[in-house]
Amino acid sequence: MKLLEYLAGPVHLRTVLRILAVLVIVGALGAVVVVGLGLYNVSAKAGHFPGVSWVLHTTFRNSVQLRADGSPPDNLSDMDMIALGAGHFDSACLMCHAAPGESRSATVRAMVPEPPPITEAAREWKPQELHWIVHKGVKMTGMPHWPATREDDVWPVVAFLLAAKGMSAEEFARLTERPDGKYCAMCHGTDGVSDNDHIPRLDILSEEYITDSLRAYRAGTRDSGIMAQAVGHLPEGAGPEVAAAFAETRPRGEPGRRGPQEERGRTLAAAEGPLDVPACRACHGPWPEPLNPAFPSLAGQYAPYLEQQLTLWRKGNRGGGQAAELMHHAARDLEDAEIEALAAYYSALAPAKLNEASDTAD
Amino acid sequence: MTVRAASALLLVSGLSACSGPQSVLDPAGRDAQVLASLFWVMFTGAVILWLAMNGIFLTVTRFIKREMSERKAETLIIGGGIVFPTVVLAGLLTYALAEMPRQRERGEGLTVRVVGESWWWRVEYLPDGSSEPVVSANEIRLPAGSRSEIELAANGVIHAFWIPALGGKTDMIPGRTTRMSLEPVTPGTYRGQCTEFCGESHAMMAFGAVVMEPESFDAWLRKEAAPADPPESPEAIRGREVFVTEGCGACHTIRGTQAQGRVGPDLTHLGGRTTLAAGILPMETDELVRWIRDPESIKPGARMPGYDHLDDARLRALATYLEGLT
Repeated sequence: MKLLEYLAGPVHLRTVLRILAVLVIVGALGAVVVVGLGLYNVSAKAGHFPGVSWVLHTTFRNSVQLRADGSPPDNLSDMDMIALGAGHFDSACLMCHAAPGESRSATVRAMVPEPPPITEAAREWKPQELHWIVHKGVKMTGMPHWPATREDDVWPVVAFLLAAKGMSAEEFARLTERPDGKYCAMCHGTDGVSDNDHIPRLDILSEEYITDSLRAYRAGTRDSGIMAQAVGHLPEGAGPEVAAAFAETRPRGEPGRRGPQEERGRTLAAAEGPLDVPACRACHGPWPEPLNPAFPSLAGQYAPYLEQQLTLWRKGNRGGGQAAELMHHAARDLEDAEIEALAAYYSALAPAKLNEASDTAD
Repeated sequence: MTVRAASALLLVSGLSACSGPQSVLDPAGRDAQVLASLFWVMFTGAVILWLAMNGIFLTVTRFIKREMSERKAETLIIGGGIVFPTVVLAGLLTYALAEMPRQRERGEGLTVRVVGESWWWRVEYLPDGSSEPVVSANEIRLPAGSRSEIELAANGVIHAFWIPALGGKTDMIPGRTTRMSLEPVTPGTYRGQCTEFCGESHAMMAFGAVVMEPESFDAWLRKEAAPADPPESPEAIRGREVFVTEGCGACHTIRGTQAQGRVGPDLTHLGGRTTLAAGILPMETDELVRWIRDPESIKPGARMPGYDHLDDARLRALATYLEGLT
C-alpha cells in the first residue's frame, strides 16, 4: 500500500533520474554478461527470433530506396554492356547468386539470410537501386561492396542484372565462354581484341603498359572494380607473361570513316586547338619520333572506352602507373565535346602499336 | 632586442626597398622616373605639411597663451583650413594628372604582347611591320631609348603586369586586351611581378625584365626568332631523347623540333633566360632538375605535372639539354 501511495504521490525529478540510472546500469550489466559470456546464439541454423528477419529486411529495403539516387545511363540494354556485366558476374557473384537458369548450391542456400537467385534478386529493384546495392554492399547479409571507389563501372553489372531476368542458361554460357579455357580471353578475346566497345582492345598495347596496368589493378592504384576482381584470377607474378602474350599480337584492322568530329579530334590531339589542351599525340602517337612504350597507344581503341577513361582522368580518380599524374594534369580542362571528338579521332585510326601508328590524314 | 636596434633594423629594411632590380625608387625608365619624382614631390610636400601642422599646433597650445581675436581666428581657419589645402591639393592634382597622358602614350616600333597564365607569362614580340610574332615566355626584353607598346591579356583569371623599375602597373583581364607603354632608359636586368592576387601561386609569378642597347636587342630578337640549335654534347643529345620519348612536346614548343605544344611556356631558348619557373629560380641545371621532378613543391597548383618517376640520370640529361637551348 505504501508503494502505491508513493507512486500516486508527486513526481520528483531526482527519483526519476535514480530509476533511470538503475535501469541503465542493469542494462549495461546485462549486455556485458550476454557479450562476455557468449550467451547469444549466433548459429545460422538457429536463425533469427520471430520478427527479426522482417525488421532487418524492411530496414534494408527502405534504406536502399532512400539512398539510391544515381541516374542510370541510357545504354543499359546495350548487348556489349550486358556481356561485360555477365563476365564480371561470372567471376564475382555467381558463387552465391548462381547463373541464370542454374540453382544455387546447397551450401549457399544454408546462408542466413539466403542470397536470392539472380533472376529473383534483380526483379523488384529499379536500376539505380541495383547500382546502389552492388556498389555499396549490404551489411550483415554477406553482400560485399564494390572493390573500387568509382561508380561508373557498376552499370554493366546492372545492365546484366536487368537482362538476367529473362536470360536462359545457354545464353549466359555463351556470354561467359572462355576461349581455350583462358580467363582473360572471356572479355578480351584470344588475340586481345574484345569486339566489345566497353572492353579495351589490348593488341595495340605494349608489354610495358599492360604489365604496369596489371600491377596497378592489383595494388589498387588504378580504380576499377571489374579489373580488381579479374586480376585475382592471375597467379602472383604472372602479369609480365600475360602482358607479353597480348603484346606480341599484331594489331589488325582498317581505319574508320573520318567526319568533322574526327577532324576536330585530330586538331585537339595535335594541339592545334585551344591553348589548354596538351597534344595527345606527343605521348600517345601518331608521332614521327619514338615514344616511351610505357605510354598506351590509342590508335583504333574503342570510342566508348576512351570516352569513359578520359572522363575518369578529368575527374581525377582514374589512377594507374607511375605516370598517371601526367594524365590527370593533361585532362583537367577537357570539355565533354572535346572528349567525344578525341575518342572519335583515335577510334577511327587504323589499330596500331604506339610507335607504328600513323594518320593517313597527315 | 633594444629599442635602438629594432629601430635601426626597421630603417635598414625600409631603405633596402629603395634600390635593387625591383624598386620604384630606383628608376631605369622614363615612366618610372616620372613616378619616382611624383613620389618625391608628394612625399616632400607631405613632410612639409606635417611639420607645419604640428608647428602650428605646438605654437597655439604652448607658446601663444593669450586669447585670439575672433577675426584673426576666422582668418586662420578659413585661410589655413579651406583656402590653403584647396590650392595645394589642386596644384598637386594638376601636376599628377598632367603626368597621366605620358604614361598612356602609344609605343613606337616594337609591340610586346603579354598574356598572364596561371602562374607564368606568355610573351610575344612583334617588331614594327612584322605579322608573325616571336614567341617566348617568362622574360621581357626591351630596347633602351625607345617607347615600346605593351599589350596585355589574361587567360582564366585576372593578373597585373608591373616592372617597378620601368613604369606603372596595368591590370590583365580575361576576355579583354589592356595596354600600356614603357620607355626604358638604362640597360640592365630588372624584375617584374604579378601585382593582382591571382591564386595560390600568385607570389611565385614574377619575371626577369632586361633592358638592352638597341643594337644588342635587335641581335637578341633575331636569335630569339630562330629555331633552337640541335644539341651537341652526348648528355644533351640524351636529354633531347628524354624530351621526345616522355612527351614534353605535348605542352611545350621547341621550334625546330616536333614539339609544338602550347599549354606551357615556349622553351626554344629557355637556357638564354635569366630565370626559371617565371622569375623564381636561377637558371641552373640543379634547379631545372628540381623543378621538373616536382614543380608542385616549388609552385603550388602549377599545371606542370611532376616527373619524379624519371631516374636522376635522365632528369639530369633533360636539364642539360634544356639549359643548352640558349
